[in-house]
Amino acid sequence: MGNKSSLLLREEEIAQIQEETGFTPNQIERLYSRFTALDKNDCGTLSREDFLRIPELAINPLSERIVHSFFAESHDDRVNFLQFMRVLSHFRPIRKNRENRLNSRDEKLRFAFSMYDLDNDGKISRDELLAILHMMVGVNISEEQLTSIAERTIIEADTNNDQMISFEEFCRALERTDVEQKMSIRFLN
Amino acid sequence: MTSLKHGVNLSRRACRPYIKFLAAAAFLAVAVASPIESTTKQSPSITVDGISTYPGLGFGPMGPVAPMPGEPPGTQLRQQQETTTETTTTAKPKKERTFVIAAVEFHRVETPFLIGVWIFFASLAKIGFHMAPKLSKMFPESCLLIFVGVLIGALLLSTHSVHVQPLTPDTFFLYMLPPIILDAGYFMPNRLFFDHLGTILLFAVVGTVFNTLTIGASLWACGQTGMFGCTTPLLDMLLFGALISAVDPVAVLAVFEEIHVDEVLYIVVFGESLLNDAVTVVLYHMFEAYTEMGASRLMYTDFLAGFASFLVVALGGTCIGVIWGFGTGLVTRFTNEVRVIEPIFIFVMAYLAYLNAEMFHMSGILAITFCGITMKNYVEGNISHKSHTTIKYTMKMLSSSSETIIFMFLGVATVNNNHDWNTWFVLLTIVFCSVFRIIGVYIFSAVANKFRLHKLNTVEKFVMSYGGLRGAVAFALVLLIDPEVVKLQPMFVTTTIAVIYFTVFIQGITIKPLVKILNVKTAEKRKPTMNERIHERFMDHLMAGIEDISGKHGNHHMRDKFKRFDNKFIRPFLLRNYQGAEPKILETYSKLAMRDAIEYMQRNASTIGNISGAESMSAIFKNYTNSNFNGRKCFSPSFTQLDSSTWNIDMQELEYNPSKKDLTDARIHHLLAEELCKPYRRHRRLSYSRHAVNDRDLGTQVNYKTHMNIRRLVGDRKHHHKRSKRGKQDGKNHVTFPEFQQNGSAKQFTHDYIDEVLQEDEEQPRRENDDGGITFTAKSLPNEDILEEDERRMSDDNDTYMTVAEQARVATPTATETMLPWKREEAEGTTALKQSEFPSWASNKEYLAYSSPSATFLGGIEKPKHPKSIIGLFRRESSSSTQAADLPIASDSEGKADSIKGDSSSMKGESLYSQPKQGPSLLSKRSTSLGGPSVLLMEDVAHSDPLGASSRPASIMQGPHRGQCRRGSMLELTGSLSRDAITEEKCSKSLPESERMGVRRLALGQQSLPREPFNRQLTMASNLLTSSSSDESSDENT
Repeated sequence: MGNKSSLLLREEEIAQIQEETGFTPNQIERLYSRFTALDKNDCGTLSREDFLRIPELAINPLSERIVHSFFAESHDDRVNFLQFMRVLSHFRPIRKNRENRLNSRDEKLRFAFSMYDLDNDGKISRDELLAILHMMVGVNISEEQLTSIAERTIIEADTNNDQMISFEEFCRALERTDVEQKMSIRFLN
Repeated sequence: MTSLKHGVNLSRRACRPYIKFLAAAAFLAVAVASPIESTTKQSPSITVDGISTYPGLGFGPMGPVAPMPGEPPGTQLRQQQETTTETTTTAKPKKERTFVIAAVEFHRVETPFLIGVWIFFASLAKIGFHMAPKLSKMFPESCLLIFVGVLIGALLLSTHSVHVQPLTPDTFFLYMLPPIILDAGYFMPNRLFFDHLGTILLFAVVGTVFNTLTIGASLWACGQTGMFGCTTPLLDMLLFGALISAVDPVAVLAVFEEIHVDEVLYIVVFGESLLNDAVTVVLYHMFEAYTEMGASRLMYTDFLAGFASFLVVALGGTCIGVIWGFGTGLVTRFTNEVRVIEPIFIFVMAYLAYLNAEMFHMSGILAITFCGITMKNYVEGNISHKSHTTIKYTMKMLSSSSETIIFMFLGVATVNNNHDWNTWFVLLTIVFCSVFRIIGVYIFSAVANKFRLHKLNTVEKFVMSYGGLRGAVAFALVLLIDPEVVKLQPMFVTTTIAVIYFTVFIQGITIKPLVKILNVKTAEKRKPTMNERIHERFMDHLMAGIEDISGKHGNHHMRDKFKRFDNKFIRPFLLRNYQGAEPKILETYSKLAMRDAIEYMQRNASTIGNISGAESMSAIFKNYTNSNFNGRKCFSPSFTQLDSSTWNIDMQELEYNPSKKDLTDARIHHLLAEELCKPYRRHRRLSYSRHAVNDRDLGTQVNYKTHMNIRRLVGDRKHHHKRSKRGKQDGKNHVTFPEFQQNGSAKQFTHDYIDEVLQEDEEQPRRENDDGGITFTAKSLPNEDILEEDERRMSDDNDTYMTVAEQARVATPTATETMLPWKREEAEGTTALKQSEFPSWASNKEYLAYSSPSATFLGGIEKPKHPKSIIGLFRRESSSSTQAADLPIASDSEGKADSIKGDSSSMKGESLYSQPKQGPSLLSKRSTSLGGPSVLLMEDVAHSDPLGASSRPASIMQGPHRGQCRRGSMLELTGSLSRDAITEEKCSKSLPESERMGVRRLALGQQSLPREPFNRQLTMASNLLTSSSSDESSDENT
């Protein structure tokens, strides 16, 4: 089964990916076929354009950030399958009594956090938050209002008064949120 | 006559078993209605025999009626019929002669009266339970209600007056069930519901079918062994299985609301109980029809038809509900002119949806559930905040009272003579119900877990199976069975009651301790924080994106799609103010901001004065929030930070040499003027209007304008009262704001006055910049250099001139102001203010004495020369706004009169508020013109009224500036100036102005001191006088 898509994927590659990401071979094959479907140029890597070609994603307000998050590790604006899988593995549901490396609560939060934190300084500044709010809330609200929302949000989470949200503060703010569930999707087998 | 007819009709609907009995009588009765009425009045001789049932009028739709002693029980229709004809002819003429002064005519009101009595006593019983905390802790309310019902039933039975089933299927389904379901649907957490929809449907549809079949088949199998002692046809058993297997939403709600389990668990069980209605109804009707057709003639197509009818019933009900839901949204879009009828649409349209679905034999429960779910999204955006509250309370009230009645009636209905107790059947039914419920839950949760992210664990499964309570729906359904067709109906009824009792009592009572023992996650109720709201939304988008990328179309994808569709096509049509894509974030923000504001006011009422007046409210909140969060960590009181910040501010301000008290005043006044007071509007309209709630700014809840609401809340009288009380109690609270040290009545009037002004202010077309409430201006840091503040303030004033209203508001006489002269002297003495924790004045007894109202009044009385009120000033000005410059000073008397008017009346902005327009020009004039000491005054006053200002400067000085004026301890200088001189200066002089604050302050202080206080006091006094008679005066004015 799945032989067609696995033509390009050798056993040891699957094993390696499985080792690293925790996906089952079936899931890996399925995702690989998705990967190749997205890869219009058949070059084994995806570009930003490849991602944005997905129609639903294109209208996602955060599409840019989401796509960007896939390119965190790549240096040449291309994503290979392993990197692709690494990102996706953050969203694997957490299984009890199994190893959860990339999909632990901490990792999930860190992933979300890094999407806010554009400049990678480990803190969400007001402007970074504002940028996200802009994308999500849209145009119907005045800049001022958005700004005050952002500020209110930062104050709420900000425990050391530096007007930024650090990762620790971020985690604390979401302490009571069921992140494990909110940031998980079921990958088909 | 009509009432009689009515009663007969109602009773016919109510008591099915007696309908046939009554039919002939009723018709006759109607035909001869008028004679009957007259007879009943004069024929008390008719007796009711206790044994025969009490026919006709005796039963309201809601229940049996015991004949009232001394009451002509004309309800014995048969007897009446016999007697009527003769008696009427003879008796009538007599009757018409005499004029009856007082008479009892119970029948006219009988039905509604009885309904009312039932509700009344049921509610009383509910109160009673909550008076006994031990009882209500141990037993769920439903148990207690049933118990009371049984007692009443026993009572009624023992008096032999009735044996009726007050809980008839029709009353139940048409009147009592809809409110409960609507409440459930309307307040259903949508997100949660749809996230778990798959699981819920699995349980509701497949699970219910499974239970029906297994219970029915098992009972039939047992029946084959002959242990029941009667024949048990398979179809009858399946019919019984259908009605007994449905989990009852009412019972589930009653129990689960008390045990507060985890929301997932709750939504799964409760959702199942709601949605299985369609299945139950279909299965029930299917088997009923099969039973009537007889097993022999059944064809397999009938089963297919059954399945098809399930689809029709379920989907049809859902569609009807959704359509009505959209319709409600659309209608409420246009209700902004008639707010008072908003709630009615929600109720009526939902009810119509229910009836509409029932009309077509579809699932009414599904219809009303989905109607609630659908309409909520849109209605909430359209209706006013108050309507929202109204709806919420009305819905809760209706649902809880019908729940109460249902359980009570269940109890009453239990007690009758028609029971057919079959021990084996009852026992086995209970056993099968429990066992198959457990088996079903385990099987289907295993299936569901395959698809769920959040796996249902063993404990949850247990609670789910244990929470499968049966209730009134089953009971109503079993009553619907026609005993002619199903011979076993009496046994079914008894068994159903037994099962209900078992589940409600045994399971209902034990589930609470079990939940505790098993350590089931319990829900925590709280509002989401800003961070949670934003980040969770962020995650939603993220997950939708990831799903798209991974090529899987799951929950997130669907939700995302719907949201987009909703935002693009539906919301714009159904919402009046379409707020953009993320109303929830805004909503949360406004809610939180409001909460902050309230908390801030409540907790820090005393420290509020310490906040620099130039800060915007948001800055204050920022500060507050900060301190709050910090406080959580280090257990420091939340206001420490505020205090410390004040401290700093003070140090800086000391350079200007104002007393701290002055600063405080200034700040609070600025604060009040700019941020807090404005929103608060009280309805002072004394005329009665049925069609309008007199509150003009009913903002919608989701509306971003909620900041208006916030402000209103902040300014809410309640808090004022609190504060004023507080002021009374701890007169020695040194931090207390002077204003709050006013006590009782004086304070009250002050606020009245403020309110008035505020209200008037509403009418005024406002400039955007003016509203200074919790506006969403972002101000960066709480602590800023005072100089900067002042400058900013000034600039603010210049470009966005404060509305007169604001000024007027600030003009409210405060104790401090009144006191100014003395205060000044004092401040003088302590000019070199030491920087200490407590300002020097704080512990000064004299100061406190001054701030007491008595002192104020005394002071006022001392110099009653110029009893002008601020209002008077404004008024006059407004009326002669153009001439304002010409008119120097209003006569005292005039001023007074005006003030009185202003106080009591809800006069529109006509007078005061025409001025703001002038404001800027005046201002500019002022700024350029004024110099020296008087200059400052001018500034403050100028916006409001150039003329009056000069004469009674202090009172008029408002807003930020007032504080400044007072700040100056240079008052003495001004004191020397004669009033006239000052006014002249202001009006005539155009002094090249030094905008520097120091100068300004001095000047202000000068003017303000001598006169203002007195004027104020007078004003207040007059307010006092008038306020009591505000009604009349308002009438006069308006």
